[in-house]
Amino acid sequence: MKKMIIGLFSIILVISLAGCGSSNNGSSADGKVSITISWWGDTARNKKYNEIADEFEKENPNIEVKRQFGSWNDYWDKLATQTAGGNAPDVISMHPNYAADYARRNTLLDLDQYIKSGDIDVSNFPKSVVNSGKISGKNYMIAQGVTTSGQVVNKSLFEKIGVDAPGDQWNWDHFVDKAIEVQKAIKAKGLKGTWAVDDQSIQYQPVFEYYLRSNGKQLYTEDGKLGFTQKDVENWFNMWETLRKAGAIPDAATVNEYANVSLEQSLFAKGKLAMHDIPGNQLYLYADQMKDSQLEMVRHPQGPSGDGEFVEGAYLSITKSSKHPKEAAKFINFFVNSEKALKIFKIEQGAPGSTKMNDYVKPQLEKGQQQSLDFIQKTLKYAGEAPYPPKGNTELTTEFTNAANSIAFGKSSVKAASAAFMKKAESIVNNQ
Amino acid sequence: MTTFKPRRLLLHVIIICIGLIMLYPLLWMIMSSFKESTEIFQSNSFWPKKFTLSNYIEGWTGLSGFTFGRFFLNSFFLVAMCIIGNLLSCSMAAYAFAKLSFAFKSVFFALMLGTLMLPFHVTVVPQYIVFKHLGWINTYLPLIVPKFLGVEGFFIFLMVQFMRTIPKDLSEAAEIDGCGPIRMYWKLILPLALPALITTMIFTFIWTWNDFFSQLLYLSDVKMYTVALGLRMFLDAMGQSSWGALFAMSTLSLIPLFVIFIFFQRYLIEGITAGSIKG
Amino acid sequence: MKSAWKRNWVGFFFLGPWLIGLIGFTTIPMLTSLYFSFTKYDMFTPPNWAGLANYIEIFHDPKFYSSVKVTAIYVLLSVPLQLIFALLVAVLLNRGIRAVRLYRAAYYVPSLFGGSVAVALLWRQVFDSEGLLNSVLGVFGISGHNWISTPSTSIYTLIILAIWQFGAPMVIFLAGLKQIPVDLYEAARIDGANKFQQFFKITLPMLTPIIFFNLIMEIIHAFQAFTPAYIVSGGTGGPLDSTLFYTLYLYQKGFTEFHMGYASALAWLLLVTIAIVTGLVFASSKKWVFYQE
Repeated sequence: MKKMIIGLFSIILVISLAGCGSSNNGSSADGKVSITISWWGDTARNKKYNEIADEFEKENPNIEVKRQFGSWNDYWDKLATQTAGGNAPDVISMHPNYAADYARRNTLLDLDQYIKSGDIDVSNFPKSVVNSGKISGKNYMIAQGVTTSGQVVNKSLFEKIGVDAPGDQWNWDHFVDKAIEVQKAIKAKGLKGTWAVDDQSIQYQPVFEYYLRSNGKQLYTEDGKLGFTQKDVENWFNMWETLRKAGAIPDAATVNEYANVSLEQSLFAKGKLAMHDIPGNQLYLYADQMKDSQLEMVRHPQGPSGDGEFVEGAYLSITKSSKHPKEAAKFINFFVNSEKALKIFKIEQGAPGSTKMNDYVKPQLEKGQQQSLDFIQKTLKYAGEAPYPPKGNTELTTEFTNAANSIAFGKSSVKAASAAFMKKAESIVNNQ
Repeated sequence: MTTFKPRRLLLHVIIICIGLIMLYPLLWMIMSSFKESTEIFQSNSFWPKKFTLSNYIEGWTGLSGFTFGRFFLNSFFLVAMCIIGNLLSCSMAAYAFAKLSFAFKSVFFALMLGTLMLPFHVTVVPQYIVFKHLGWINTYLPLIVPKFLGVEGFFIFLMVQFMRTIPKDLSEAAEIDGCGPIRMYWKLILPLALPALITTMIFTFIWTWNDFFSQLLYLSDVKMYTVALGLRMFLDAMGQSSWGALFAMSTLSLIPLFVIFIFFQRYLIEGITAGSIKG
Repeated sequence: MKSAWKRNWVGFFFLGPWLIGLIGFTTIPMLTSLYFSFTKYDMFTPPNWAGLANYIEIFHDPKFYSSVKVTAIYVLLSVPLQLIFALLVAVLLNRGIRAVRLYRAAYYVPSLFGGSVAVALLWRQVFDSEGLLNSVLGVFGISGHNWISTPSTSIYTLIILAIWQFGAPMVIFLAGLKQIPVDLYEAARIDGANKFQQFFKITLPMLTPIIFFNLIMEIIHAFQAFTPAYIVSGGTGGPLDSTLFYTLYLYQKGFTEFHMGYASALAWLLLVTIAIVTGLVFASSKKWVFYQE
């Protein structure tokens, strides 16, 4: 018995050691270079990335592409650890929420030289899209898909209650009036547990940012300070307080119950909301879930200073620790500019950055996806530039959510919560 | 049986009622795994409108040529190694703490407990760097080797507590018979601490099977993926999630755990008689 | 009598693997994090020495206090409730009744889930506004409530979740019950002791080393509870920080806000707290834990 155990144990140990021998530093004797790419996503998206990487390898037989992926939270936890350990992948997927934290801590490569050398071709990218990948004037990110946010409207629900659905041209006062009108009609119809719009007061980004921009302000200034005042915060929360008092948004407990659920479980997908803010590229995902309802995207309300739109999206970056930045740049270029890649990727992360690729992809889309693309293309025309946040943006987001929640739960007044938030926000921004 | 005993019946009724509360979520998950994906969150009914196996087929296929079968094999390999590691290293350390005396014993014991008290989040980065220097990233080694070196203080402490309940006269008698410490460990203490060893085995199995964070950090290649990592592929907070496939594969992934538990609880609970001591 | 030298040699031989692991894999990361706790460290750029700054900042941090409160409630309620429940069920299932094996397995099922995503969904199935609990209450004419998203009740749903996953201590209790020599009970039965007397006179005292173990481990686990809050609140600790467990806060600070130095300081404060609490339990154990030595 004892011998058997020891024997078994040594066999397994040998296998495990053999199975994980060679450590790889990226290049081998036969001149083959290997780069590692990483992304966030589920199985369906993983499949697309894998196919694109395969296509790239076919075209570049001397480059091997290693792949890493994880779901959203896992991806960022792993990337943070890898970056701290000096072991980050060569090409990483970047998101505006985290871009400032990574770029401002010197972990990303300035891609300017590769754009100048033509390794990465952005000649077909609109200026606003190129600029959305710049942080403090440096080109850290190349857009693989851009999107703008807006209000998705459940037209079937509007018809049912006999209210006209909103159009693209409206301002924040119209928005409040419309929501109240809808709620009255919902009540008259006797629909229980249904609301005009979700509580967007907690949406520091992007809705509050849209609100500020349409009022001539910014979330942040170019030099990384706050671009708004306490008055703006109060106005914002007061607007939502009006809707809350009118019953046009769900109560705080319901909002929180649905705060962290997936798209499929959301109130809007369940048909319990008439309007909801989403990024344009997700429109078709909702349409997939709500086969019986007719959905439409409209722009966020405008303000006295015009449009709130700015470019959001998903990007690709090269890390500073990459040993093969040239090959990495080649991969990025393949991803955003080749028909082979876009044929697979389509509008997975939003409209392709390149206008040429937009035209290429569009005829291949299903109806729902075309709707997404139409909306993004339409609103991109209004999009201005939004300065990137300073470090500490995530902290600020948390504080803003807390302020919104404490008002929603009736724990503090709009004035008190706004003042507390401003104090905290200034100390966070000034301490960076 | 013989006569009708109302008190016995009542006992069974109570056990079954509480048991249903314990099992309800599992049953809900199994039922959901047979529903069409759009039905899972759109209806509140417990039973599927129509049974479908498509979730199982879709889930099992996985991606890029690797089915869930591969992930199961990887998980089994990892679990087997961790069990062997924990059983050997923890029982040795426990024997030292429970039955031997040596310098600084209580200091070491306190240190052992102390290592359990620091949240792992703050040691993740330095640990990652250690393994990177050893060249172990993207291998199973960071997940296995530490188990052979007794990093699981939980099990050491568990075994210490069980070994301390072994009567002293037994070991003294063995010592008089000329039994050295190594023989004593192997022939006397280990068999007597069998419940603790089985407990260690079951827990190592379940915890390693479910643990995803360290596997996430150290395994990047899909062909090395485990069940815990495979399950997380179905979810993405920023897009669409394949709930049906997730439930289907979660259900499958519980089966080995359940089987292991049913099988080994016999050894754990149903009598380790004095006769089995003499091996 | 063996010489002290030989005794030490044998002791360290058995302790050897553990000692190598301690030095190689445990001590280095721990000491590094201790060093980080005295620095400003954002994970990506080298740490800067900051002395006690992090520790001082912690005591001016309102979120620190709310996380301490949440964790304290969780430890104080979940540890005793889970242990009592586990012990009762273990005793109940340690008898020669029919189908007992099936029962044991069924009761262990919740613990098989661990911290998987499925748990979060299942938990919503039970406690959300259209969940099982409210349907049951509805039968009795009591109108429901958003249990998981009302700040005053959300923490209690997590405590119930902890009790529901009571399988680990139950199994350890069952194993411990089997270690109790049967002849003790036979002797007691001859002396005319009834079931309750047997439980308090034999079972409980003989089980004290195991109770002690479970108590210590559950305290350590509860202080570090992370997964339940992480998966059910999506890592936010909301609503209104009502499920902001200490380690969840520490994780947010370290991994999402990149203040790893601050997070390390939080972690070491937690270590000191747990050490003091378990130290007290250890000190008290001389009074109530009985070993056969």
